Amino acid sequence: MRLDRDLAQPSLALPGRREWPSRAFVSTPPVEPRIEPTPGGQAMRRRLPYSSQGLAILTILVVVLWSAAPAAAQGKPIRIGEINSYSGLATVYTFPYKEGLLMAAKEINDGGGVLGRPIEFIFRDDKLKPDEAVKAARELVGQEKVDFLAGCISSGVGLAISAYAKEAKTLYFATHCQTSRLTWDDGHKYVAHTTNNVNQYIRALAKKAATLPYKKWAHISPDYEYGHNVWDEFIAYLKQLKPDVQVMQENWPKLGETDHSPYITALLQSQADAFISAVWGAQEIAFVKQARPFGLFEKVKYVSASVGNPDELDPLGKEAPVGALTPGFAWYDEGMQKRHPKLAEWVKKYETRAKKEPTLGASWGYASAYIIAEAIKRAKSADTEKVIAALGEGYEMEFPWGKVIMRGCDMQAIPPQWTGVVKMNAQGKPVLGDIEEIHGKDVIKSCDEVAKLRAMAAEKKK
Amino acid sequence: MSGLSVGMLLFLVSVGMSLIFGVTRIVNLAHGAFYMVGAYLMVTLVELLPDRPWAFWVALLLAPVGVAVLGGVVEVGLLRLIYRRDPLLQLILTFGLILVIGTLVLLVWGPDNKSVPRPDALAGSVKIFGQPFPSYYLLVLVLAPLVAVALWLLFYRTRWGMLVRAATVDREMLGALGVNVAALYTQVFVFGSWLAGFGGALAAPTVAVALGMDGDVLTTAFVVVVIGGLGSFAGSFIGALLVGLLQSFGILIFPAVSIVLLFALMAVVLIVRPWGLLGRPDA
Repeated sequence: MRLDRDLAQPSLALPGRREWPSRAFVSTPPVEPRIEPTPGGQAMRRRLPYSSQGLAILTILVVVLWSAAPAAAQGKPIRIGEINSYSGLATVYTFPYKEGLLMAAKEINDGGGVLGRPIEFIFRDDKLKPDEAVKAARELVGQEKVDFLAGCISSGVGLAISAYAKEAKTLYFATHCQTSRLTWDDGHKYVAHTTNNVNQYIRALAKKAATLPYKKWAHISPDYEYGHNVWDEFIAYLKQLKPDVQVMQENWPKLGETDHSPYITALLQSQADAFISAVWGAQEIAFVKQARPFGLFEKVKYVSASVGNPDELDPLGKEAPVGALTPGFAWYDEGMQKRHPKLAEWVKKYETRAKKEPTLGASWGYASAYIIAEAIKRAKSADTEKVIAALGEGYEMEFPWGKVIMRGCDMQAIPPQWTGVVKMNAQGKPVLGDIEEIHGKDVIKSCDEVAKLRAMAAEKKK
Repeated sequence: MSGLSVGMLLFLVSVGMSLIFGVTRIVNLAHGAFYMVGAYLMVTLVELLPDRPWAFWVALLLAPVGVAVLGGVVEVGLLRLIYRRDPLLQLILTFGLILVIGTLVLLVWGPDNKSVPRPDALAGSVKIFGQPFPSYYLLVLVLAPLVAVALWLLFYRTRWGMLVRAATVDREMLGALGVNVAALYTQVFVFGSWLAGFGGALAAPTVAVALGMDGDVLTTAFVVVVIGGLGSFAGSFIGALLVGLLQSFGILIFPAVSIVLLFALMAVVLIVRPWGLLGRPDA
């Protein structure tokens, strides 16, 4: 089907101009129109090869449209192919993320765009599968001729798009997945990471955990890339800060496990003072609900990599694990709003648009669009190599929730990090309190360490 | 112990699947999706009903009925058209239903994770042999065997049950004897869907109600049905218990290979008795 449309393209090229008048003046190959040609357009297409009159009328039409175009819809759009999981179980994260991304894109375009050009996102669903994502990336680069790639919620998908981007020499902005491998072990010049990576927020969590009086630790983590990444980072940093820490017991349920009773029993018998959970999303809700009747959270201190996110806290409601230590974007917190005076206004704007409270993912979508736009602005061009050079120099941006550094050496974003404690508010709704903020730059691995990681990974490949 | 209650929930889902296959010869891949809809209906009903202790029980009663209605619509509107077609077409249709129901659930309930709070009386745990045991699991351990007994009575002590059993043996003969087989198919499909919905509604308070919860249950229920024997009622019961216990004990004994164990068991059963533990070999 794709092929058919391709073959039909040359004859469709002229009606395509009516959509973006500027195209008539540039020599780039015609781009497949994303709107079906109107009946009028089709009539024109049929007449065109034979009638010079038709061509003249069309030229006039193009010129008129060109001059009549409003100021905000400037030049040829900068097109970014955005691949993410827009169906199925990850939509709980990707829908708010997309709202944030589109909200920022609208702000940017209303303000005159980037280098006088609007930015435009072309969305594709990866169905949470790396091969689907790569297929979409090929189509976006090959047929849609996008300038850049962006997206990912699953780390596996992110790494797959990154590998494709390297081969296709197209710059890819990983926007939502969090594995540190993206820009570190498997890093290369065609991948930038516009959000947090596991290393930063787990180290921030470990730093806070190190101040608590617990020495004997256990964990429960899903048995795949992310689960191992979290546990390794957590325990390594905790031991670095507190050398007398002991590991009592480890639990590796499979990703998506629905019955955690055996692990809960094991944790109860582990004699650990505290444990960290890297289980997330629906699985963590199930884990918390199953662990509660056993009194696990009263007996062993609960530290979680994700339970502070509203996608877990809100459904748990009165069954939320009060007292758990966890990272989280607590925009509603008084201290947060005092430290970041522009935060409340941003939240209001987001809520008006999305009709929902913001999430961490929404802030990441929002920041990602601005970080990409800034790189293009600094490069003074949408040319891939120039944008990479601009990213390589590094830059800082202020967001309503604080400073985000785009580090030059690995093109990795370094945002602020928050940890908090789960509490019940006056309405009996679980929230995060006792928020502590540190900046990612104070915990993240240095450029030298990253260089070593990359060298080691290169060594392994040989 | 928790393995037992997991097994019981599995039994409810898989016996419905087995029953539908036994009578209609359709492998209903959308059975997991029905389970998911049961859980989502439970969420909505608990939210809609006043915040009283009885609300939970009313919801538990009504949610499976909603799924049964959905099952009826699917049977009459879709499946009835393709009984005589290639079994592959039937697989494609029920597989397509998974995607359609998944998308509809996303449209109706949105992307957010949901959860059903346990009734206050069953939120805690009781001590059994000195070990804490969640009281909600006790409810499952009581309700599911009750359903099993009721099913047995239904199948072996009523005329309808006799017809259903006859249909699993020889459908053509049953039709020739003047039984309205089309109506029987619908009834069985509705009843099977009710079982899936009941499983989903009963499981909802122990898990997160979220998109994708259908996939896992479908695979496990399928394994149960294959182990127990397609179309066999007692087979589903034994298969579900085996799988439930294997999943919880397997993790303790062989943590590294616990995922494989389930499928290893299925493979062994398929080699030794290809028709399942209590199934009948094809004549």
